[in-house]
Amino acid sequence: MIETLPAILIGAVLVAVFSIIIGLLLMGFDRIVAARMQARIGPPLTQPFIDIRKLLAKENVVPENAIPWLFNLAPVIALASAITILFYLPIAGFAPVLSGGGDLILVMYLLTLPALALVAGGFASGSPYATVGAQREMVTMIAYEFPLAIVVVAIAWRLAAEGISLPFSLATIGANPVWGLVGPLGAIGLLILLVVLLIVTPAELSRVPFDTPEAETELAGGILVEYSGKNLALFSLTQGVKTVAMASLVVALFFPYRLAAIAGISGFLGAVIDLLFYILLITLVTFISVSVIRVAMARFRINQVVSVYWIYLAIAGLGGLLLVMVDQIMGVV
Amino acid sequence: MVSATSLTSGFGIWDPVLWVLAIIIGLVIAWILWSSGVSAFKKGTEQARPYLSGNAEPPKGEVHIRAGNLYWGFTEGIKGYYQRIVPLHTGIMTDYLLWMFWVAGILLIIVMVV
Repeated sequence: MIETLPAILIGAVLVAVFSIIIGLLLMGFDRIVAARMQARIGPPLTQPFIDIRKLLAKENVVPENAIPWLFNLAPVIALASAITILFYLPIAGFAPVLSGGGDLILVMYLLTLPALALVAGGFASGSPYATVGAQREMVTMIAYEFPLAIVVVAIAWRLAAEGISLPFSLATIGANPVWGLVGPLGAIGLLILLVVLLIVTPAELSRVPFDTPEAETELAGGILVEYSGKNLALFSLTQGVKTVAMASLVVALFFPYRLAAIAGISGFLGAVIDLLFYILLITLVTFISVSVIRVAMARFRINQVVSVYWIYLAIAGLGGLLLVMVDQIMGVV
Repeated sequence: MVSATSLTSGFGIWDPVLWVLAIIIGLVIAWILWSSGVSAFKKGTEQARPYLSGNAEPPKGEVHIRAGNLYWGFTEGIKGYYQRIVPLHTGIMTDYLLWMFWVAGILLIIVMVV
């Protein structure tokens, strides 16, 4: 491990910088397309960068009811843990920085860390709005974990059924695109699982219709109501990095394809083509699961969020899993 | 590739040492960004009062969310399940034992058949 330590450090820093920049660009893209769908012009693509720069120059108010050390620590932990997720995900055809250091199950747990930091920050704010927001964030987190787990298990189960070892490994999933292993029935099942994952994404990112923890019109920002200045800047950056992480997870699970490899192009040009293809894919995922959904829908109440995930999406996910299993059994018979 | 310090279960892998390294790198990057911002604010002024849409702050005991209400949205969202499952928790030991035997019997049948 000592030999690879410098490579890990360089790779980690590059991934962190890349994810922050692409995350902010995706947030800018989302704002533009959402505005266009509402017949508005919208802000420039670089607006999130301008917002972050402005927030870093603003006062960092710590409310008198807050627990200052936890209030200030929460955004740092949220951003750090969001960046860490990307160390385990393949990006632009490159193997994960910490390939072999963790798998999908670890990624699922790591996805909860930024949300837990947000909850800790909300409770540490000492504000009634933030406390209600933190409570809702916890409930939302419990709600979407179940359908997310079904999707992950379904894909790993299909790989394991083929006798492939380490089915939860993202390298394994990348080397064995799951669409190539299933028949028509399994493809329908996978399509359902993809839709489930695309609907889990806005809840992971606290976006409409699952933004009940923030609920600007109801809780005045809820969990983030007391945050300002550099603390709010870090939570905004976390949002951007998590957008990249969730979109990368969707791509890694369902579209682990490399355009350059398909076209037979290698070397630097191949890497550039793969990078552009990856950015196109995560932009498409963001467009569908964030922009379109948030423009088309109004906010759910917190109890509706739970019903959507634990009843409707869980049933849909289990149905998808069942189809994948039946497809595999029929294929064997 | 599985690193030397990895914990493996045959299906899953996790290397806690690498994760600690990863979170340290993440924390350093996040801290650098955090410390590049302004830290000052006007302590003891209206600015530091909690925001409540202009309303007076109620006593803390009245806005505290009790543990029983912490998961309100969750229990409300699937109340159909809870309405059926809560009355089954009678607090009578023989009821629980009966449930245990039922579940053990069903599991035994499943295991024997499958």
